Amino acid sequence: MASQIFAYAIIGLGSGALISGVGLGVVLSYRGSGVINLSTGAIAMLAGYCYWALATGEFGVTFATGWAIVLTLLFSAVVGIVFELGVVRPLRRQPPLAKLVATLGILLSAQAAIVLAFGDTAHPQPSILPGGNVTLFGVTVPDYNLWMAAIILAAALVVVAVYRWTRFGIGTRAAAENEAYATLFGLSPNRYSMGNTVAMALVMGLVGMLAASIAEVDPTTLVLLIVPGLAAAMFGRLTAFTTTYVAGIVIGMAESVLLYLSTQSWFPTSNGGPLPGVDELLVLLVLVVATFFRAGKIPSRGDIVESRLPRAPRPVAPLRTAAVFVPIAALAMWVLPFGFREGLITSCIFAVSLLSLVVVTGYLGQLSLVQLGLAGVAGFLVSHLSTNFGIGFPWAAIVGVAAAAMLGVGFGFPALRVRGVQLAVVTLAATVALETFWFSNGSWGAGVIGASVPAPSLFGFDFGTNASFHGLGGGEPSPLFGWFCLIVLVVVALLVANLRRSRLGQQMLAVRANERAAAATGVNVRNVKLTGFGIAAGIAGVSGVLLSYSYGSITASSFSALIAVALVAFVYITGITSVPGGVFGGLIYSGGIFAFALLDWFGLQGNWLNLIVGFLVVLSLISRPEGGATFLFYGKHPSLWARSPKKAQATRPLSGTAHGGTAHGADERNQHGLAPVEAEVTS
Amino acid sequence: MTAALEAAGITVSFGAVRALQGVDVVVDEGKLVGLIGPNGAGKTTFVDAITGFVQSSGSVHLQGQDISKLPPHRRAHLGLVRTWQTIELFDDLTVQENLAVAGGRPSLVSTVVDVVFGREPRAEQTAEEVLGLFDLQEVAPEMPSNLSQGRRKLVGIARALAAGPSLLLLDEPAAGLDTQESGDLGRKLRRLVDNGLPTLLIDHDMGLVLGICDEIYVLDFGKVIAHGTPDEVRSNPDVLAAYLGKSGQAQAGARWAAVAEGTRER
Repeated sequence: MASQIFAYAIIGLGSGALISGVGLGVVLSYRGSGVINLSTGAIAMLAGYCYWALATGEFGVTFATGWAIVLTLLFSAVVGIVFELGVVRPLRRQPPLAKLVATLGILLSAQAAIVLAFGDTAHPQPSILPGGNVTLFGVTVPDYNLWMAAIILAAALVVVAVYRWTRFGIGTRAAAENEAYATLFGLSPNRYSMGNTVAMALVMGLVGMLAASIAEVDPTTLVLLIVPGLAAAMFGRLTAFTTTYVAGIVIGMAESVLLYLSTQSWFPTSNGGPLPGVDELLVLLVLVVATFFRAGKIPSRGDIVESRLPRAPRPVAPLRTAAVFVPIAALAMWVLPFGFREGLITSCIFAVSLLSLVVVTGYLGQLSLVQLGLAGVAGFLVSHLSTNFGIGFPWAAIVGVAAAAMLGVGFGFPALRVRGVQLAVVTLAATVALETFWFSNGSWGAGVIGASVPAPSLFGFDFGTNASFHGLGGGEPSPLFGWFCLIVLVVVALLVANLRRSRLGQQMLAVRANERAAAATGVNVRNVKLTGFGIAAGIAGVSGVLLSYSYGSITASSFSALIAVALVAFVYITGITSVPGGVFGGLIYSGGIFAFALLDWFGLQGNWLNLIVGFLVVLSLISRPEGGATFLFYGKHPSLWARSPKKAQATRPLSGTAHGGTAHGADERNQHGLAPVEAEVTS
Repeated sequence: MTAALEAAGITVSFGAVRALQGVDVVVDEGKLVGLIGPNGAGKTTFVDAITGFVQSSGSVHLQGQDISKLPPHRRAHLGLVRTWQTIELFDDLTVQENLAVAGGRPSLVSTVVDVVFGREPRAEQTAEEVLGLFDLQEVAPEMPSNLSQGRRKLVGIARALAAGPSLLLLDEPAAGLDTQESGDLGRKLRRLVDNGLPTLLIDHDMGLVLGICDEIYVLDFGKVIAHGTPDEVRSNPDVLAAYLGKSGQAQAGARWAAVAEGTRER
């Protein structure tokens, strides 16, 4: 047994090297330009496909391995240069969160491009490493694992040497410390940023090619390697190359040993097979530990940052807006042919999902990538309560939403300590862990085939997708279900709009803007954050419930991390800080009505939309950070809505309705708030 | 009579550095108390300590109630409200909303009702009054970033007042204001105090502090080196040395005397 564990640990060196490589890429990006680069795995995937295409003659010419390696590295360098000029440099002055979202956009685009070009099936590729075996302490293992670990180690050591002993390394460190001073001393932060980005891309090129030894090339594996890669990088505090390398190797070995242990008889099983998702849980745990105990010491950068999250305008007249759009949508549910009808229903459901992001990110300023996972929690609970316990609508839905909300509050607790960018990282890992550990689990989740969800009905009245009432075009889904979704969306949208106008919403924005000042003016920052997370999670739960009813069955893949990433990208271009942003994001979401129209009229797949939206995110962050729909609805000037005379009046009827309702008059200032004793009584 | 604020033995350490060493400050009801000291003396650290933003030892009593262990927002609820040297407005909210956040602590029920029925939060009378006091009504719907530095400063004070303080802590409210604005602010502060709001004023503008305060504490290297009426502080040799350095005392003393003399005319 001990020798088996040893053998699996050595085998784990291979995947550990890939994790280390991705981690190194993250560190290089952070040190070079302050970007927490979630697209490093995606760049490795691009390189992997490039190598595969060159080595197998996908483009008609087959290159010898050596040439394929050289050309792939060249290709990686070009990707790095494009990434630097197209993403990093234009976003230099943006806050860290915007930079992170931009890299999510790149991830989405890269993935969509590969699926469009080569399909989403895996392709076998020739290894670049010799395929011999090596015997260590009586255990024989394939030696490419050792080669991979050695090559990435060499890359790490080269980077360390360059950082320590060359002018380039010193310059990079100086620019990260204080960009303004570095510029004054004649150093060019742009040049160092470019150097680091290209170095990152080259390391990713290595990772992409080395992966050929242990995996076929496919559009997701390497992309998602970012999660353990981030865990390793966090252990290195986003700055230490060697620590990152070691952490990555250790994670890889631990995962491999776990794989061996899962074959043992004592290992917990589920539905006959070993419990899935344990290694993802392990990575989540590592990431949480790293974030809590190491991230506090991540050196913040002395960048010149100009802007913050885009403004969150106050809704002018949400009811009036709803009165215009709702009848149109309701009519469309009945009139449209079934494909469009289904698209519209999907749009409504994802609009609800996106509204949960509007609350947690737009209002509260915390980027959470776990909202879709929370939707999944609610959806799976609905499925289980209905099929296993006979609890149907509405109780199953209520329980599901409540559970999601409670879990959301649970995710709010880390947000009390880690914020912004690091929270995004932890929640991304949580989404992956939820998907593999819970949703794919044969007994609690859907396994591979999916779990069924009975149609919703109330007092014997069936309004599921297969209800007997049909629209003009006939076929499923029934317009009844569409109207149900529409009603839910309208209610949620109005609540989110009202939230922005309420005191609680103002407190959320106060917390978003300045936590210290909020606390100093009496805002309980902790409670506001937890409440915000709870509300957002509840909304996400609602969307999960609708999603489960709309498919009639529920699968883990509906709640994957890549879809979570896509959702953030879509809502960022329409506007993450406003209700119209969320609703329009749902309309254009791939799978929604706009995507269906593209497919039906132009034959364009949803991945075309993802490809374009991924790039649009970067563009939008540069030129219109508030998002298209927000801009459309609230115009350019922050205080435009407030200048209209009607609004000014509405906010001024203070006498009589004043807080506390006491008498008013000229002397009231003294009694009513400014004087010490009275202030305490009235509040 | 219990004092509005009684801070005793406030000590703050940053690593090996002792930023404050046993500072005692008392603000009596109805008094405007100044806190001055050279750069780095620990004035802002003192404010951070008693409002709960920095870990400190010692005790803080607000109207006789021990608040030493409370988190910042609870201290604010009880009436210990501060402004910031760096203003720190909520940049995502309008001026009016900035004040509203300070003024309202909504109950769960009223929040739910507001969100469900889409009611506008009721405008706070206090907030309106305060806006009027500082002539800020016309900028109420503006975003803070559209205002001048001086106006932003005033909005910061207005927001503190909207929170319904029982004791006001002002951290350099006059920095960035011109002489006339500063004098104007001084008169307004004096009137607030005379109407019953005890205030601790920290500022570099000696004219302002010496001119309007009832008593003054002088802080240097984290210790109170002098305490008394403006006249007593003016003539205190330790204060002179702290501000001007012991070596330059002779020649610089004359300059200090001139400044101090000038403020008498206010």
